[in-house]
Order: sequence, then C-alpha cells, then structure tokens
Amino acid sequence: MAQPPLSQRIQRLERELGVRLFERTSRQVRITEAGRLLLAQAREVLARSESFLATARRVRDGETGLLRAALPPDLSGETVAALLSDFGRRHSGLELELHELSTAQQLDRLAAHELDVGVVHHPCDVTGLELGPVLRRELGVLLPRRARAAALEEVPPAALSGHDLILFPRAAAPALYDDLLTTCARAGFTPAAVRHGQGASFVRGLVLSAGAVALCPRDALPLSAGDGDPEVVWRPLSGGAPALRHSAAWLRGRGNAAVHAFAEAATHALRTTAGATPDAPPRPLHLRPASEYWL
Amino acid sequence: MTDALARIHAAFSDAGVTGWLHALDIDSGAQLDAGADQPVCTASVHKLCVLVTLHEQAAAGLLDLTEQVECPPEGRTPGPTGTAAMLDAARLSLRDLAYLMMAVSDNAAADLLLRRVGLDAVNATTARLGLARTRAVHSFGDMLATMKEDAGPDGARALTDPHVITRLRALDPARTNRSTPRDMTRLLGAVWRDEACTPEHGAAVRRILGLQVWPHRLASGFPFDDVHVAGKTGSLPTLRNEVGVVEYPDGGRYAVAVFTRTAQTAATLPAADAVIGTAARIAVDALRAEALRTR
Repeated sequence: MAQPPLSQRIQRLERELGVRLFERTSRQVRITEAGRLLLAQAREVLARSESFLATARRVRDGETGLLRAALPPDLSGETVAALLSDFGRRHSGLELELHELSTAQQLDRLAAHELDVGVVHHPCDVTGLELGPVLRRELGVLLPRRARAAALEEVPPAALSGHDLILFPRAAAPALYDDLLTTCARAGFTPAAVRHGQGASFVRGLVLSAGAVALCPRDALPLSAGDGDPEVVWRPLSGGAPALRHSAAWLRGRGNAAVHAFAEAATHALRTTAGATPDAPPRPLHLRPASEYWL
Repeated sequence: MTDALARIHAAFSDAGVTGWLHALDIDSGAQLDAGADQPVCTASVHKLCVLVTLHEQAAAGLLDLTEQVECPPEGRTPGPTGTAAMLDAARLSLRDLAYLMMAVSDNAAADLLLRRVGLDAVNATTARLGLARTRAVHSFGDMLATMKEDAGPDGARALTDPHVITRLRALDPARTNRSTPRDMTRLLGAVWRDEACTPEHGAAVRRILGLQVWPHRLASGFPFDDVHVAGKTGSLPTLRNEVGVVEYPDGGRYAVAVFTRTAQTAATLPAADAVIGTAARIAVDALRAEALRTR
C-alpha cells in the first residue's frame, strides 16, 4: 500500500477509537503502548471474521447446515434409498430434512422459503423456479386379473373402457390430474367415474372391490402386485398412453451446491432405479390466431 | 363479497390457472379485489394504452386519425392476425390500424401506431391517468424478439418446454410491459367516464373496444343479448388476460381486469380462456347484488 493512503487510514482509525496508536517523529514511526494492547485483540477479531466468512461460504456451498428437501409420494422405496445414499456420498456433513409432499405442496413451500429443493410433477406452474432435467416415467395400469384387458401383454387405454379410474386427489397436482384424464380420453379411455386414492393397499382394495383400474409406473408397483398377486396384475400401457414427467425444482437464485447435489442425485436415482428417460421431444404445435403471438 | 372471492378462487383452481382480478363499478366505485395489485405482464392488453394515447394525441391536434399510413410487408411485426398475417403492401388510416390492433390484436398495426405516437408518450399517458404501476418498456415486436431469442433454435415448439418457460423474459413483469389489474380498471373507468379523452374521442375508443372479435374470454361469461361487452385480450405462453367493460341495460357498468397464468404449457386451453369470463361474471354479479342491497 502506498504510504499516504496508509497513514490516512491510521489517522482515521485513531480518530474513530480516540486513541493514539503510533508515535510519529520526523524520522521514525513507533507503536504506542495503547497500540500494542489493541493489536493483540485486533488480530483475534480479524481471525474470527475470517472464520465467520468461511462458515458463510461453507453454508452457501452446502457443506454444513440443513437442506430441506421433498419428494413426491409416487417414488419407489428403491428410488428413495438410491437418492439418499448418493446424496450422502456427495454431502456427508449435511443434515437432510426430507419430506413426502405433493407437487402443489412443494410449490407452496418453495415460494414460502420453507423448502430448498423438491422433485415436482410437470406440468406445474414454474414461475420463479429453476429446474433440473425433465424426466419421463411411462405409466402402466393395475387391473383386476379377471378383467378382460388383463389377458393382453400391453393394454391400449381404449381397452380399459367400462372401468372406473383410480387417481390421486386433484389438489395434489391439478395440471397433471387434468393432463392424465385428457390423455386417457384422447387415447380412447373415458372412465365412467374417477375414484380418489393414493395408498398402495387402498388402491388395491379399490381395484379388487370396484373393478377399477389405477395408473402406476412399473417401478412404483405395490409389492403385492408383482406376478405373485393372484388377484391384481400390472400391464404396460400402449398407444398414446399418459406418462409422468418429473424434475428437481428450486427457487431461482437459491440453488447452492447442496441443492444441485440433491437435484443430481434425484435425477440419477430416477434414471437408474425408476427407468426414467429424457422427456419426449415436443409435439407439433399449431398456434391458433387467438394465441396473439407468433415466432 | 367474501363468498364471491372464494368462488372466484375456486373457479381459477378448477380451470387450472392462477388468477388475479379487479372489478370496479364505474359509477359507484364499489369494487372487488382478488389480487388487484399483483404486478402482471400485460402482453397485448397494453394495446389499450396505445389506443388511448393515439386519441389523446388526436385530441391535442398532434395527428389526424384519418392520416394514411403505408404498411409494407417488409419488417412487419409478426402475428397471426390482421396486417401482421397479410402478405402484400397495404395502406390504412391511423384509426383503421387502431381498429385492427384492437379487434384482432394485430401486432403489426400496433407497432405502426406505437412508432407514430412513441413509447414515451404511452407511458406519459398512463402516468397522467395515475396508473403508477403501468409501464411499457418495449414494442410488441421487441417483446416477441425476446421470446424468439429465449426460446432458442426450436422456435415456437420449444414454448411447451417447462425449462424454456422458466427463462422467458416476456413472462417476467419486471422485464416486460407491465401493469396491475387495479391500474387497468382505473384506465377503463376513465375511458368510460370520458376522463381519459374528450367525449368524442372517448366514444371512438369505446366503439373500437366493442368491436373485438374474440368470444372465448370475458364475453363468454355474459351470455346475454342485452349485455354489452367491450374488451382487449392479451396472451403469451401460459398467460391469458382480458380487461374490459360490461354494460347492463339498467345502466350498470363494470370495469373488469383478469390476468391468469396456467400450469399447463399447452397453447390451446379453452377452459383457461373461459374462466376469465366465469370469474368476471361472479365479480359483476356480486357488485350488482351489493348495489341492489344498498339501493
């Protein structure tokens, strides 16, 4: 540092403290007794400020502290376990507070800063969010073994006609709910009634008692509905069937190293344990004149 | 009123949108506020501000509404309607361009008028009318150019991709033309009370607003031959807006501004269009019921 600015700063400090820190003669500058006393403490303060900033840096980089994360209820235990162990390897020092929340609940909590990162279903309102890659999980159908469509290896949605459909309550992910019904209808399946249910055993009960069918990705099959279940079977859907689309999501500008690590672990776990694939390319888009925009 | 608010929110949620509404009894000043001060992207609703500015300048003798304007096909602002969609050179008066801008949301006509009056004049007009939170920051062509740039090489098809939606500047009220529902009903109230322009120009503005061709939004909520609906829509990916005035044969007149955003990224969502009319109708019914009670 050039001499004049340095002496100006020293003088400013002396004025601020009301204490003379240096004796100045024309030939030399010597620290005063008061200066010597304050010097030791000044060094301590500086060291503590360094460590204060370092802690802030570690929290920012996600190395300490707490990450509040959420997953939707339709992931398999295997996917959750893979995600957790992958994330633990990346960030062992971090406390993870994991919640099972619907897309709507996750969006509310992200907006309220009560959640750091989640895995949401698309479509959803993505205002103010940043997203990880959107992945797609193909849906199959759970149906009574006695149903005629159960004899097929792959079930076109139209073959489900006559059955009621079991779906999660609309409030959990309204746009996805509407999307699933619309896609089913377009593929030839308009259920006479929609019954709401989510828990695996409740859904199985509805399938058995009411002859209803449920949409379910292969990886999230209830344990009982494997090949061993004498009464309920799972079949892949074909021909324009609906799918689930997920991505990690966090509030724009609030993505730190821990958030990114969670997003990557979730993406990886969905790919490896849930058979998720990259989102399908967009369908043709015929903008109508009332759209008012044109690119 | 609280019942009406709950029903408006329920209607929005059933239609899969997040919505903000302000309704104003133009004569009594009674109002209904369902997020009236939310900053919103105006999109083509801002053409209303251009229209009022044009008539203000005509009243001041700065321009003649019958002045002819050359509309060459080169360099036209893109759009699916009006001169924006036409292929050959045209020549129209300022007031006929204004008609196309409002009746079919003609982007090219709007930008020709905006060039004639100036962006600063539009902001001066809205400021003069006390619309403190209304601001135009770019022309309609410039707004579409940001969308084209943000959408990337896949063009309009990319607009259904949630990642693209999160990065569109045109969907961020801080970075594009903006207002609030309350500012827009204030503007409409001023136009209908002849406070925005002279009575002669006010009548011309009201005539043009009554010639809008779209039946799917505000007008859909008022299926009555004896009720007059005048308005201007605005649309961008996930955004659907309309502001307008509904006039009953008993003299009741109500300014309504509805701005919505869908979770779905699809361009064609009739239910999201229609809920603008549904919500406006609930609001107007509530304002009318209150006026009858207090009469």
